[in-house]
Amino acid sequence: MTSIRLELQDVAAGYGARVVFYGITLSLRQGETLVVAGANGSGKSTFLRLLCGLQAPTRGNVFYDWNDARYDPRDAGSLIGWVAPDLALYRELTGSENLRFFAAVRGLALHNEQIDELLAYVGLGGRGDDWVASYSSGMTHRMRYAYALMHKPPVLLLDEPTVTFDERGVELVERVVQTQRQRGITVIATNDARELRFADYVLTLGGV
Amino acid sequence: MALRISQIAKLIIGVWIASVIVSMFLVLPQYEGLGNAGRIMIMHVPTAWVSVLAFAVSALYSGLYLRRGRSSDDDKALAAAESGFLFTLLATITGMIFSQVVWGVYWNWDPRQTSIFVLLLIYAALFALRAAIDDPDRRRQLSAVYSLFAFVTVPFLFFIAPRITDSTLHPNCVFIQGSTCEGIVLQEGNIGLLGDRKVQLLAIDRQGDTITAEVNVSEPGLRDEALLQPTFNLAAGERDIAPEFPGLRFRLVLEEVDLDAGRVRLNIEAPGTGLLDNQRTLITFIASNIGFTALFIWMFQIRATLLGAQWALERREGALP
Amino acid sequence: MDHEISTAKFAGIRTPFRQIMTAMQAVLIKDVRSELRTRYAINALILFAAGAVVAVSLGIGFFGLRRDADSLRIQAVLLWIALLFAALNGLSRSFVHEEETRTLASLRLAAPPLAVYLGKFWFNLALLLVLDTVTTLLFVMFVRVQVANIPLFVSLLAAGSLCLATATTILAAVIAKASFKNTLFAVLAFPLLAPTLIVAIEGTATALGGGSWSEGFSALRTLLAYAVATFVASLFLFRFVWEA
Repeated sequence: MTSIRLELQDVAAGYGARVVFYGITLSLRQGETLVVAGANGSGKSTFLRLLCGLQAPTRGNVFYDWNDARYDPRDAGSLIGWVAPDLALYRELTGSENLRFFAAVRGLALHNEQIDELLAYVGLGGRGDDWVASYSSGMTHRMRYAYALMHKPPVLLLDEPTVTFDERGVELVERVVQTQRQRGITVIATNDARELRFADYVLTLGGV
Repeated sequence: MALRISQIAKLIIGVWIASVIVSMFLVLPQYEGLGNAGRIMIMHVPTAWVSVLAFAVSALYSGLYLRRGRSSDDDKALAAAESGFLFTLLATITGMIFSQVVWGVYWNWDPRQTSIFVLLLIYAALFALRAAIDDPDRRRQLSAVYSLFAFVTVPFLFFIAPRITDSTLHPNCVFIQGSTCEGIVLQEGNIGLLGDRKVQLLAIDRQGDTITAEVNVSEPGLRDEALLQPTFNLAAGERDIAPEFPGLRFRLVLEEVDLDAGRVRLNIEAPGTGLLDNQRTLITFIASNIGFTALFIWMFQIRATLLGAQWALERREGALP
Repeated sequence: MDHEISTAKFAGIRTPFRQIMTAMQAVLIKDVRSELRTRYAINALILFAAGAVVAVSLGIGFFGLRRDADSLRIQAVLLWIALLFAALNGLSRSFVHEEETRTLASLRLAAPPLAVYLGKFWFNLALLLVLDTVTTLLFVMFVRVQVANIPLFVSLLAAGSLCLATATTILAAVIAKASFKNTLFAVLAFPLLAPTLIVAIEGTATALGGGSWSEGFSALRTLLAYAVATFVASLFLFRFVWEA
């Protein structure tokens, strides 16, 4: 049984000399969901960027324990699925070309059927041969889920999971989060009170 | 305590460099053929040496920053680059003054001028890069990478630069394209090439301790010929009269003589070569090198400390407890 | 930023060599496909080179017909100026495009850094070879440059382009994260490329005039040494650029 653990020790983050948050210590285990709440600008997205290694903490440590080894978030790309409004895919490629490309760089050999399956799962069945540039904002957001889930990551980081989503999209998020409970850790950054129901723990940012 | 040491260091360096400057003008003998222009070498060579040293120090701390991620290492890399830039400018300017006085032009694209010009461009690029990145961590990391990457390419510059011009006039190793610093060895009657000049050793004459070589020098394409008579003093074991090549500022030197075999070594020399043969000049020169190196280390330390304090202040304003 | 020294031992995820090669291939194919659809870089490169050649031709006519040593050298200089500035105008595009369309983050999470570097490097090299071909043909047609030693000329052009690609690919990744990207790219690249430019021009002049292989060999060797040194340095340093 593989197991994943996320550990933060006295973590601070900021831009240049400006501090966004500090002193965060927490630990998440297999099957747990953390919801990060807080006003605009309180650092929710920054928190998720720390967890996926796109940004380094200005103080403290962030690491993952997986299969008895310890990983820096910067080296843990293959453990992490990240969905965020500022995550972009290649607009001049089609949906399935995008997925095939990301699968290839991740070292996954996905068949065409698996790509189609993934597209159908996120509700883009039949639209895989259109350029991403032609997608609506909701469809683009669905593509982000396909991008984040293709390698079945033990850590799923969702920034504004339902933004631009319709009813069916909200159901997709529900399904994704429930599945992730079995697979590993989920961290959700949101302002939407309805998404608090996923939480085992809530971290409220703001008030530096 | 640290402040005390810094004060004392400042005093010592100040006095040291002041005495170097005084002896540069008062103690140094005039160098034959250069007049007072030769004195500038006391400033020029140490600043040039410090420019290269600073570049290496900057690259070293850039590497350490990438390895350890400490902002103090980046402060040091930047401090070295900034003081290095200053010294590079000084070396360039003193070199240009020397060039104007001795060669008659401020700029000649001499190999060393080319190298130092590119070094200036690299420093400028480094500062431009730093100015173009807002996020401090990103700025540090990317400028460290550029500094190291540039450091890899600079040796090629020093290797390649001598190929650019047809000749160099820089003292110590002078050459016309195709020749080497070693000169050539000729036997009586032989013809050889010193770069693109054809030289023929017509005869070796001896008068007492003075050996005179009769050398016929012809320009490329045999446009012009001249008979030069460089001499060598056997008693002193050194060259004596070194006539100038026709129309040029460099001289033909008789470097070695082997009378038994009838062989001599001929070489080219620019004005300024052999400046350090004088004891007083040599001591002042070494003192100047030490002084400027110390000055660099002092400036580098002060600037690095200042950058560190500035960053600490910014962080305090950013309210990190 | 002072990281406190962590006592934790981190296990880097080691990507097997074959996987890096597959990923590199994927990056290259993706870039070529994007390029064919958007013509983002190739237009900039080719139009710049064509503009330069036409300007030269209009200004000094069929300069290639002059075969004395000075003219040959000037022809080599003109050719390399056109190539250099076209390259400085276009080679940063692949990274800048990723930054502008904000795909750098998604690529960074998914791809091993080495694979990204190598993919972009091959893409830039391919762009340069297209640029070389077009520019040379234009010079031959419009300026009537005659190449006396064609194999030597082609090898020098290839070696010079290799240097351009090894020196500029990592710089493109650097400037993608800065402001004033395109100006900065030229500012950063020029001093580092100066030595190769000197050698390439000298060698090309020799090749145009029909110099033998032995005359061009030292230039070729220097260019290759430079390419190897900058390539190896890039392999070590790219990771830091990628994570900045």
